[in-house]
Amino acid sequence: MWHNFKYDFLVCLRSKDVILWMLLFPVFLGTVFHIAFGNINASNAFEAVPVAVVMESENAAFRTVMDEITAGEEPLFTVTYADREQAMKLLEENEISGIMFVDDSVKVSVSGLTSGTVINVKKTIVKSFAEQYNSTAAIIEDTMKTDISKLPSVIEALSEQVSCNEQLPLTDGNTDNMLGYFYNLIAMVGLLGSNLGVYMTVDNQANLSPLGARRCCAPRRKIASMTSALLARFAAETICVSVSLTYLIFVLGIDFGTKIPFVYLAGILGGFLGTSFGFFVGSIGTKDGDTKSAICIAASLTCCFFSGLMINTMKGMVDTVAPWFNEINPAAVISDAFYCLNIYDDYERFTTKIITMLIMTVVFCLGGFLLTRRRRYASL
Amino acid sequence: MSETVVKIENLVKRYKDLIALDHFSLEIKQGEIFGLLGPNGSGKTTTINCLLSLLAFDKGTIEIFGKKMTPDSYDIKRDIGIIMQNVAVYDELTVGENIDYFCGLYINDSKKRKEYVEEAIRFVGLEEFRKFYPKKLSGGLLRRLNIACGIAHKPKLIILDEPTVAVDPQSRNKILEGIQQLNKNGATIIYTSHYMEEVEQICTRIAIMDKGKKIAEGTNEELKKMIKNSETVNIDMFMIPENALSEIRDLPHVYSAEFENNVLQVKCDGGTHNLIRILSILQNHELKFGRVYSELPTLNDVFLEITGKALRDSD
Repeated sequence: MWHNFKYDFLVCLRSKDVILWMLLFPVFLGTVFHIAFGNINASNAFEAVPVAVVMESENAAFRTVMDEITAGEEPLFTVTYADREQAMKLLEENEISGIMFVDDSVKVSVSGLTSGTVINVKKTIVKSFAEQYNSTAAIIEDTMKTDISKLPSVIEALSEQVSCNEQLPLTDGNTDNMLGYFYNLIAMVGLLGSNLGVYMTVDNQANLSPLGARRCCAPRRKIASMTSALLARFAAETICVSVSLTYLIFVLGIDFGTKIPFVYLAGILGGFLGTSFGFFVGSIGTKDGDTKSAICIAASLTCCFFSGLMINTMKGMVDTVAPWFNEINPAAVISDAFYCLNIYDDYERFTTKIITMLIMTVVFCLGGFLLTRRRRYASL
Repeated sequence: MSETVVKIENLVKRYKDLIALDHFSLEIKQGEIFGLLGPNGSGKTTTINCLLSLLAFDKGTIEIFGKKMTPDSYDIKRDIGIIMQNVAVYDELTVGENIDYFCGLYINDSKKRKEYVEEAIRFVGLEEFRKFYPKKLSGGLLRRLNIACGIAHKPKLIILDEPTVAVDPQSRNKILEGIQQLNKNGATIIYTSHYMEEVEQICTRIAIMDKGKKIAEGTNEELKKMIKNSETVNIDMFMIPENALSEIRDLPHVYSAEFENNVLQVKCDGGTHNLIRILSILQNHELKFGRVYSELPTLNDVFLEITGKALRDSD
């Protein structure tokens, strides 16, 4: 058994199809996703709004506020202190989004030649800031005039963000929509393992290949021969999934959460599921290996499409139309296991997904073994 | 009397309406190189596949080493070496690894297996290619690898199904010599081919098949004795008058004399000095002739006389 396993494993790892589609392709696609989605995220990042401040009279309170909001990792403004003429020139040259004229209060000029959504948003930010500053300053001034003893409590109240809606986070995990692509990429690597399963069957069936016929002549029990071949494919698939996951997590830095061992577990079981699916498909009928492989690849990519490999909202759409399909779609089950770990933080749901994968794997394997149990063939 | 290694009785195999094997029977003794000769589609490979229990058959029995052969006859399979018509090796394994893999299906002891693999590599002359992958080998070398994979475990019965198809003459000779050597080492050989020269060259006994039936069986000499023809005399000449042709036809042991395409072909059913008598008649008629040659009957003549068609024409 070990002898068979060793050589079956070697054959898998040296197979050009395995190297190309299950090792290089996921690494390439992951890199492409990373570059593409990295740019999208970068373009969505907040940029500090450039403003000029013209101090028409000294206002220490304003300066303190500005120092606060221009500091830190994500400052609201980048401030240039200038006189009126310099500031107007900067505004005309679109170097800044607005000018704040400061004396006792803050007045704003955002008139300029620029247009467009981003610029308008920046102007709105400048205006809103000035309005909020003025109203806060007016409240404090009014409190000082009427009852100075209430000043601390007023300042405290003003410091609090008041909202009519309470924001409740659904999860502590990463809710970046783009992660779905990477989860589905691993699901794809798992399901492409079906190719390994198909060719395993072809290499063990006398009516499908000369190698199959040759192996059937050997004094070995077919069930033992098939089992060692299947285990070798599982081992090869484990390597492929692990390489892909390691590359995504540790090289590209994709966020798969903190429960990394479980991530590997889900990915590897997904690989077993894919391999056993191929074993089952390979066992049906007498079509050649390439035809069966094409069927498996088409089925795998269709499953991945419906679980969101190409359009990340697809799984949600399927969920509204046919939720049952997501429960039996192997790609959706695998990617859902990753969601459970990183986004939903739900072990119960994760366990359900793992059990679903195991049941599917067992069913496909049993089907495969039943269909290949023949030892004599009607024709070769 | 030698022990019977293979016994096939009344084997019938149908593919829907087509009868691939029609009450085919065979007995092969220990130490023989038994040739199964027949055109493509005559049932040779079907016989081998039934023999190996790969193919289900409709009727008949198969015994190997005195035991009934079934898919679970692992003790029998352990002593059989099979070299398939189509090369059956892994492209992803090197020459050495392929032989080790197939040998390992029969031999568990790794030390013993290592020795056997080395012997097999030497036997087929692939010492320089042990690290090569099959795709880097020529057709002839690939066939040799296929043979090494089949014989490395030192089987008592070796079945070679058309092992020389698409092989260059040098490799073919090497393969045929190898088969004779394996036989000398004690293995019983079943050799199927549609190349009659190969079968004549190496086989100690031959069964000729056509349309799933055994049409003749015996040694090379026995088969040739079964037919009328024992010698064919061919003489290149421009013309021959009818009276000279009649004289030749009247000679004792001559049963056919035809002049066609500037060749006089005379077929004899035995006797001696046939050629001298024919040439005397030509001299008496002062006829000029060129090349003269005499042919002994071939297995093709046997096939031709029994089936009415040439072996090669049937391919």
